[in-house]
Amino acid sequence: MRRRTVLQSALAVVATLPIPRMRAWAQGIGFPGLREETLQTLAATVLPESLGRARTNAVALEFAEWVAGYREGAELSPGYGSPRVRYTGPSPAATYDRQLQALASGPLAHSELSARRRALADELRRAGIEDLTSIPRGAHVVADLMSFWFTSSTAHDLAYQAAIGKDRCRTIANSAARPAPLAPR
Amino acid sequence: MSMPYVGHATRRVESDVCIIGGGISAALLAERLSELAPRLTVVVVEAGERLFDVENRRQHRQRALAYGENEWPGDFIPDQGGEGVISRTMAVGGSAMHWQGHANRFSAEDLRLKSMYGLATDWPLEWSELEPFLADAERRIGVAGEPSPHPEDARSAPYPMPPMPLTYNLAQMKAWAEKSGLPFYGCPVARNTVKYDGRSECRRCNTCTVCPTGARYSPDYTFQRLLAGAKIALHDRVLVRRLVVHETRDDIVAAIGYHAERPGEAIEYRARTFVVASGYAWSPHLLLLSASSRFPQGLANRSDTVGRYMTGHKFTTAQIELDEKLYPGMNAPYPLISRQHFRCPTDGAFARFDIQIFESEAGRRPRLKGARGAMLFGDDLLRDWSARAEKGVARVRMYSDTHPSRDSRLTLDPSTRNRHGDPMPRIVHKLDEASEAREPATQARIRAIYDQMARAGGGRVLSVAVADYQDHPAGGCRMGSDPATSVCDSFGRTHDHPNLFVVGAPTLPTGGCTNGTITFAGLTLRSAGQVAATT
Repeated sequence: MRRRTVLQSALAVVATLPIPRMRAWAQGIGFPGLREETLQTLAATVLPESLGRARTNAVALEFAEWVAGYREGAELSPGYGSPRVRYTGPSPAATYDRQLQALASGPLAHSELSARRRALADELRRAGIEDLTSIPRGAHVVADLMSFWFTSSTAHDLAYQAAIGKDRCRTIANSAARPAPLAPR
Repeated sequence: MSMPYVGHATRRVESDVCIIGGGISAALLAERLSELAPRLTVVVVEAGERLFDVENRRQHRQRALAYGENEWPGDFIPDQGGEGVISRTMAVGGSAMHWQGHANRFSAEDLRLKSMYGLATDWPLEWSELEPFLADAERRIGVAGEPSPHPEDARSAPYPMPPMPLTYNLAQMKAWAEKSGLPFYGCPVARNTVKYDGRSECRRCNTCTVCPTGARYSPDYTFQRLLAGAKIALHDRVLVRRLVVHETRDDIVAAIGYHAERPGEAIEYRARTFVVASGYAWSPHLLLLSASSRFPQGLANRSDTVGRYMTGHKFTTAQIELDEKLYPGMNAPYPLISRQHFRCPTDGAFARFDIQIFESEAGRRPRLKGARGAMLFGDDLLRDWSARAEKGVARVRMYSDTHPSRDSRLTLDPSTRNRHGDPMPRIVHKLDEASEAREPATQARIRAIYDQMARAGGGRVLSVAVADYQDHPAGGCRMGSDPATSVCDSFGRTHDHPNLFVVGAPTLPTGGCTNGTITFAGLTLRSAGQVAATT
């Protein structure tokens, strides 16, 4: 486990203060703050076990960076066909923090992977989560962490067992070739 | 009611030509005018911002991918929209800032629907009069393409760039689709396959709606070059709210605009010639808004045709599963195209459409629940996904040629107003009687082709859906020879006002059965000579 930084510790204190705006700010900046270990356990539970713990820990960190990079009130794409002007809502950090806290003493408290997954399935059903989304929507940290990774270019390549690199910019010169198979892990 | 302009502008701007609107038609018109008549002063007035920040597009792309944020931040005006307007974009460069660059041509049949099939109307020009301007548009924009296999699609000039290479996926889908007897080839695209016009080669970033490399053409490049050469003046963030006609004659004397940050101060644009280049929605909208006591129905509207014959085309999309593995994500915005059904017999049922095939992830995305409804996690979820990915999917889309009724209209909607109190547009598309009558047969024909493709190539049709809006919208200021039934002539000169032109999409009488941008651009370039001569 990574050592907690001074900043994280300070934010963890602020996050407990009874001042909602400051608490939300601290949670957003410091996410996952005190819940780092829980987030890592969650990642190890819902992501492919074949990735290995080091990789799932890294995904947990990338997800935390995604949360840190979230901008409230940013323009969303108006879309095409039936466009609507829309903006992003509040940071999901506070919701995630609350959910992680509950998960730590609930579904993720089981020692067995299969038991944790069964409990998480119940949790998602209770929360009304039906499917993954193309981008985390802030509904539930479990589904959002899964959406975050499973819609990534890396996951796409693993599913197809080929180096497609869908979100990368690539030369057009070799586009006629079948994407190279992934090297055995 | 919107507040009338009473003739007390705080600022006056004079030019030879005033172009209202800053999209692709305005960019190409301004460029061509600067070549034809370099001494003419040209002012382009655009309501939206100039987004000349190519250096930020990589970051915008990343934010769009990661967070779903607008890949063109600031490219719309929140209170400037309307029901039935399918894109909110209002910026220098217009909708072509985020087009995917599909650069198909219409065909000669589009201009001769009445003569050949007894349908809709003929355009008031010959294909041979238009075609050289399509080639000119392709050269200016930079189109990569290969010749069509149909001799009827003959060109006066080759495409300026070699075609985009087919990806592995497209090569497989081409072989699959051609078993049905339909010829397919790579769709011409306004994306650089080699360095062109100072812009880089395509890097297959898969996000053509925001191109981080500059390989896909957008009009900001043209505008920046014109500005660097001091060829035009560009007034962005200025909304033109009305045109003013001379007190006794029919010529336009001024366009009245308001800067976004000074909404109470009128800017009076005086010019010898005015060109409305504001697209299919905002061009007729401006003409209708400009109603006065002498022109109570709006300008260029003695025929009561402004805002009528709003057109476009219906489209149908099928997802077809193939019996072979594909790898979606190789170049998703690049399709195959078939123009086999651009021509149909003149003595049989009318059904014209293009066919475009894209790679697809339909039914091939990661899912939380397996086939039996159980929640999936970890390697189980990945295995479920991999198993479904063993068979590829083709997205097959057809744009069908439907024709507008006279009552296919843009009207002013008093229930929705912008900050100035101007009513916003409301567009309701309506097909003409013949199009409505043949629609069931057209859809049956389209579905039969999907079935035939699946049968011949192997596979099964997963879904078929007809869109609930008309794509590539156009019309509203249709061109024609008869002033009683049209707004402007084939050069876009309005019948009612000798120094007022409308260019691009709004002038189309019918919307064709393929992407329209090259046609809008070609018509505009053809207008340039008349605009220069008039001025």
